[in-house]
Amino acid sequence: MSEAPALHSRRPLTLRFDIPISRTHEFWDSLRTGRFVTTKCSKCGNVSFPPQSDCSRCMGSEFHWVDLGQGATLVTYTQVMTVPASFSAEGSYTVAIAEFRGGVKVLAWLEGVRAEDATPGMKLKVEARTRSDGSPYYVFVPA
Amino acid sequence: MTRVAVVGIGHSRFGRRTDVNIGELAFESIKQAIDDAGVERRDIGNVVVGSAGGWYEESLPAVVVGEYAGLSGAGTMRVEAACASGSAAVKAAYNSILSGETEVAMAVGVEKMTEVDSPTSVELIGRAGSYTWEFENYGMTFPAYYALYAVAHMNQFGTTQEDLARVSVKAHRYGASNPLAHFQKEITLEKAMGSQMVAWPLKLYDACPLSDGSATVVLASEEAAKKLTDTPVWIRGVGYSSDTANLSRRGNYVGLRAAVEAAARAYAMAKVSPGDIDVATAHDCFTIAELMAYEDLGFCKKGEGAKMVREGETELGGRIPVNLDGGLKAKGHPIGATGVSMAVEITKQLRGEAGRRQAQIKKGLGLTHNIGGTGHYAYVTVYSRD
Repeated sequence: MSEAPALHSRRPLTLRFDIPISRTHEFWDSLRTGRFVTTKCSKCGNVSFPPQSDCSRCMGSEFHWVDLGQGATLVTYTQVMTVPASFSAEGSYTVAIAEFRGGVKVLAWLEGVRAEDATPGMKLKVEARTRSDGSPYYVFVPA
Repeated sequence: MTRVAVVGIGHSRFGRRTDVNIGELAFESIKQAIDDAGVERRDIGNVVVGSAGGWYEESLPAVVVGEYAGLSGAGTMRVEAACASGSAAVKAAYNSILSGETEVAMAVGVEKMTEVDSPTSVELIGRAGSYTWEFENYGMTFPAYYALYAVAHMNQFGTTQEDLARVSVKAHRYGASNPLAHFQKEITLEKAMGSQMVAWPLKLYDACPLSDGSATVVLASEEAAKKLTDTPVWIRGVGYSSDTANLSRRGNYVGLRAAVEAAARAYAMAKVSPGDIDVATAHDCFTIAELMAYEDLGFCKKGEGAKMVREGETELGGRIPVNLDGGLKAKGHPIGATGVSMAVEITKQLRGEAGRRQAQIKKGLGLTHNIGGTGHYAYVTVYSRD
């Protein structure tokens, strides 16, 4: 079957966003030193992840940073086989949601375990990583 | 308060529609719906277009479609509720009649997903949710999000990959009877089970395709509906809810809280219970989503979704037939068109116009369950013959 006639657009669009992190950059700064922190509302005590400068529970805007520690337990997981265009260089990767003490949950890559071999409740720890361009991110690994 | 009825329906062929642009595609269902309703275009006060957009060239689909179909001048807007954009459009059109702004309104759902390459589509859908925390560093995809639910459901309730494949086989069985479906061939359990893994444990045959398509409904007030048609299908209950952008903030991964809340609100407004529903469409973007939908809608208890499909309770002739149009899996899922397509299907079923895939209508009640994103948005609508 031949392709239907089409006008191939000649005006490609590249979007790169500068996402403001003025109020929460401490998360990324701490990650560079190996600490995994998030925000805690100074008024109602709500701990948020992702970190946020305004409290979604009481709407207060005063907060401080708390260390979540390293240990977490595996809740659910998958292995991404068909990856998005901008991840084509990564191959396949395992993604997990894990729960820290206190109930905060975090989504990140899980290294060192194939999804098929993972089990819910597995003990994990969060580790900081740095990409080749110097940008920090975090992953889970078996504890 | 007036009642609001569906008085006209239109539906394009779904699939890889490289033969039409966005305006031409929308026109197909708009023309059918206008003819079916027997309305004059000048009498349509509000045209709401449901389209997620981003994968086709036009930024303002509502006015592009309006111009192409000669509807310029009507009130219009594009609404976005991800994969529930179509139901959001129906609701916005419905509200404009309830409020007395207009006697006749139209909801058009349209999406053109195949003008960009597949990895780019995968990327655009994967970015839906929380870009910064779940996509930027972790490349989540839509199948991967639902796989997180599938794994939790399997671990907690013993649902199997074969149960999921049964949902796919069912979808393709009815898709084969729907001349407007993207896929019109039956498949075997072995074929579904043997298909390529896209996000473990979900395989290609657990996933809906990337489709182009449009669907349109014309809605009217009670007074206008009685002049226009002898077979109005009334919107009896509309329930909607939402959940967190970040999947990490959800309470559990075995059901969609937004769907449970939307269903409760729709049932309460319509004063009906799950057992009253004769026929339903459920949002089966992935097979696991259909099983969770049975549970979230109260068709069975939590954790028993797989049992329903194993025992054929949602087949034609079963206790509550679900997705007799092939569902998103076989009919296709042009994001913004899906919710309106569901309204079209339930209207056909309640009018008795569904042909080979006609459900037995006893109480005259049908239901649509339309989810946006990974349970980010939920719309449940109850339709009635009376």
